[in-house]
Amino acid sequence: MMDEDTSNSVRRMSTRTRRVAPKMVAALASNDNRTQAVLARLEALENDNPGLETVQVNDDSDASLDDDDEQVFQKKQSKSTKRKTRQAKALENAKKAPRTFHELLHEANLESLPRHVPTYLRAAVGPPSSVARRHFCTVCGFSSNYTCVRCGTRFCSTRCQNIHNDTRCLKFVA
Amino acid sequence: MTVIVLDNGGGQIKAGIGGDRDPLTIIPNCTARPISSKKPLIGPSLLSPLTDLTSATLRRPIDRGYLINPDLQSTIWAHLFSTLHVTPSLSSLLLTEPLFNLPSAQRSFDELVFEEFGFRRLYVANAAELVHLYEASRKPYGVVSKRECSLVVDCGFSFTHCVPVFQNFVVNYGVKRMDLGGKALSNYLKELISYRSVNVMDESFLVDHVKEKLCFVSLDVQRDLIVARKRGYDNIFKCTYVLPDGVTYTKGFVKDPAEADRYLTLYDGATGRHTEEMETDQQEHEEKHENKNKIDLTKNEFSLTNERFLVPEMIFRPADLGMNQAGLAECIVRAVNSCHPYLQPVLYESIILTGGSTLFPRFAERLERELRPLVPDNYQVKISTQEDPILGVWRGGSLLASSPDFETMCVTKAEYEELGSFRCRKRFFH
Ligand SMILES: [Zn+2]
Ligand SMILES: [Zn+2]
Repeated sequence: MMDEDTSNSVRRMSTRTRRVAPKMVAALASNDNRTQAVLARLEALENDNPGLETVQVNDDSDASLDDDDEQVFQKKQSKSTKRKTRQAKALENAKKAPRTFHELLHEANLESLPRHVPTYLRAAVGPPSSVARRHFCTVCGFSSNYTCVRCGTRFCSTRCQNIHNDTRCLKFVA
Repeated sequence: MTVIVLDNGGGQIKAGIGGDRDPLTIIPNCTARPISSKKPLIGPSLLSPLTDLTSATLRRPIDRGYLINPDLQSTIWAHLFSTLHVTPSLSSLLLTEPLFNLPSAQRSFDELVFEEFGFRRLYVANAAELVHLYEASRKPYGVVSKRECSLVVDCGFSFTHCVPVFQNFVVNYGVKRMDLGGKALSNYLKELISYRSVNVMDESFLVDHVKEKLCFVSLDVQRDLIVARKRGYDNIFKCTYVLPDGVTYTKGFVKDPAEADRYLTLYDGATGRHTEEMETDQQEHEEKHENKNKIDLTKNEFSLTNERFLVPEMIFRPADLGMNQAGLAECIVRAVNSCHPYLQPVLYESIILTGGSTLFPRFAERLERELRPLVPDNYQVKISTQEDPILGVWRGGSLLASSPDFETMCVTKAEYEELGSFRCRKRFFH
């Protein structure tokens, strides 16, 4: 039992480190600050708790949640056949560690499918046909004519530039 | 036999009984742990007006539309089924899954459905077909029904799909996806408010509310940016949102709904959601308004101006944000162009908008303005929004679940046990 507990906590720890978003990893690997800032920002848009610097994986509290409900279903499970128990066991193991979407996508190995098979990857809309991009000041939202030399973020005035430098510049870059 | 219809969205679960008009319950598909608590909250308690979700930590079983945490999904379902008094072993399940679901996520769903909860039968549906079915049945003599064809534009929580449907089935090689939905919009709004006024980075529920109540789609961004710069009363976009103080109110609210609706005067023949819907909101807060004057609220509120339209703007121009993907109008054109030329004019004529993110006022109008110049002149463009873009998928599911041959379309528990997940899945075509 002890063993299981430790291995569990190890797995949880590793889950936490893996939680660092892949784009973030890509961003950090890149030595171009601008690319880093853009990628990190986009990744942050899909984050559930963007305010938290490190996302906590609170597995502990979840397990104890609604024990009553869980028990009802577990009782039913115990009546299962041999095959099912094996599957259930595999399920138990697989279930322990929540995966990231990028891990699952990578594991699905969709690139290996023949070209005519529609997949998640092939359904992506792709880049816009026009490269014209409108620029809005990231501080106040109005049209912007200036770009931060360090991170590539847009701003419209000295006032907004100062706010940017004080609060946001390179915020997403570690 | 009872059929449970479960529209298992990344943001919300819509659940109820097949054959009913509306689901029995709509709950967030997440758990939230308030800072003051060790236990995460789940299900309806998240929606109670008394629950203080300030700075709650969220966990979601679904990321970018796909199931990543079956364990958490199981916990949420267990709670759901017990509140609905559902006995899975005596019921069939109609479950929605995203298009191109990953094999590992399909397996996880099957295991949850048959092994963990022990449902008798399972039918897996996709949102687009259910929306198509519902719209076709509502207007038996309309284009959608007669030609068995439509283009479903589903702008949901995790992403946006443009899906051609032909002979009532998804044309899967024509599907186009933008990686942009309600969640990214809310997070973008969070960012804007946090940098400009108060830090709301941890306030997912609050910002969702702000977005739903105050954001709208601009029909002319350059003009509206100029208007948003005006000072005082001339700035018809300016409005104020009051933050919860944790004592008098646990939820935020729009300070003055009439002020929030002033943007409508910019357009002719406008009808606002606030003037009607928010009256109830207003009444709820009326008593509190009396007390309000006594408290210093200067720090407990923030105003919005151009954020109100710059947020939904992302759907139309993701490139403005630095995303290397086409906007919604182009996404539609690409979906249509991947279909047979004979099908193309019919698809443009039967565009159906669904999903919570299509609820922004003027969404359809803006889309039509962007789409029209991209479509050949001799084709008609007709865009209709579902009567209820949040419930549309569920209602289609409810309809399908009550059809006489529903049971024959399902995979049974015995078949699953004999054949396994992979072979059973072949039946559902996607
Ligand atoms: Zn500015
Ligand atoms: Zn900078």
